[in-house]
Amino acid sequence: MSDEQVYEPKVVAFLCKWCSSAGSDLAGVSRIQYPANATPIQVMCTGGVSPMYVLSALRKGADGVLVSGCHPGDCHYIEGNYLARRKLHLVKELLEFVGIEPNRFRMSWVSAAEGGKFAQVVRDFVEDLRPLGPQDKVKADRS
Amino acid sequence: MINLKDIRDTARDMLTKGEVRAVIGWQQGSRGMAAEPVVITAPEQADSLVWNPTCYHNLSLYLVNDKKAQAHSKQKPTLPIAIIAKGCDARSTVVLMQENYFRRDEVYIIGVSCEGTGVVDEHKLAVALQGAQPTAAAFEGEDYVLTLADGSEKRLSAREVMADRCLECREPFPKENNLVLGEDKTGRSLEAPFAALARFEQKSEAERWDFWKHQFERCIRCFACRSVCPMCFCDECVVDSIEMKVVPATTAQEKADRVRWIERSATTADNFGYHMTRAMHLAGRCIDCGECERVCPVNIPLRLLNNKMEREARERFGYEPGASIGASSLVASFRDDDPNAFIR
Repeated sequence: MSDEQVYEPKVVAFLCKWCSSAGSDLAGVSRIQYPANATPIQVMCTGGVSPMYVLSALRKGADGVLVSGCHPGDCHYIEGNYLARRKLHLVKELLEFVGIEPNRFRMSWVSAAEGGKFAQVVRDFVEDLRPLGPQDKVKADRS
Repeated sequence: MINLKDIRDTARDMLTKGEVRAVIGWQQGSRGMAAEPVVITAPEQADSLVWNPTCYHNLSLYLVNDKKAQAHSKQKPTLPIAIIAKGCDARSTVVLMQENYFRRDEVYIIGVSCEGTGVVDEHKLAVALQGAQPTAAAFEGEDYVLTLADGSEKRLSAREVMADRCLECREPFPKENNLVLGEDKTGRSLEAPFAALARFEQKSEAERWDFWKHQFERCIRCFACRSVCPMCFCDECVVDSIEMKVVPATTAQEKADRVRWIERSATTADNFGYHMTRAMHLAGRCIDCGECERVCPVNIPLRLLNNKMEREARERFGYEPGASIGASSLVASFRDDDPNAFIR
């Protein structure tokens, strides 16, 4: 293993069907280059992202969890992203409280027209995760 | 100073007049000085009720159990049930009503004000008494008077041996009540609210993780915290799925399809999942009765997690759990000016 080799973090991305999924699609069809570390999981709305999705992803070995949805006011279900914002703010605070690195969890607003922004969000997230290395604090021991 | 006679008379009166079908209160337990919860249904049982520093149980749990028993027997009682409630018990009863677990007219709240003496912390008491076994405890002004096994009496300042949650209590007076005994001493705060939390947050990230890793390693998943919590009323807990019946005909596919977000094994990772999930489920609902921390057999400071959520709700969202029956819950409501800066 050379010293040059960098750690490639695994990112689980919960993307809402109406905005961020379409945004990631746009990034794809626009041929925008961004790291392939994120595994997208489409959810109907960020409002439906249970805190347990985040915790479970970390437990199964994700290095970072990204939740992305429509901008405030643009939710397909009118208020789903507002509810997500409140709920996931609490999750973020709680994770930091027990000593998980704040950069392991991130939220973003990406609309269907923001392919470039989606690519940038993933790029930034991966850049921030690389120096943290593998997440083994709460990863389940499967040995 | 609350007169025990008043509590007994009230309970006896209500049962005699047939205003309530039962009264939930405390009686002398069988373990040393400790009181234990009791449900009395006959007027003559009223004399067994007690009120002393060991009445630390959150009795609203028994309102939940009562409601569950009703659902099980498919019978709807016509009379309300009475509960003797401290400040914290009254707040958790409010949260339960806020969530429509029962209606206001199904419960008769006999409030007892803690009057700044709170309830005892048995760990602190054991240290203060250096191992001597008390057989009885009583309130006396700002002090507790303990009767020891050898018959001698010991007087301790309540402040010294009071539970941490009582030291930090902001509302020792049961605001929601049908009737209240004792004086309103709200505003008294022996220690700053969230003081333990603020002290803990001084630590660095690495120190915090070391601390919680140690706690999560020790958790044995006995679920005592869940059993004692009046807010943990789900029939099947999402972190402990036990309802699926595995019979010889159950296929491997069916077993595999069962969703288990958090495993039941008591490992650091799964305990982390359990305690985080529980803290999230209690966000905006936990009223800091501190019972989870008291019953924990391995002394995990669970109040820290719940306090963190409570303070977050208070400071960021202006939400006070257990303040109003009509308010919408913390995570089912939002405001336009909720924090947004953490989102890219």
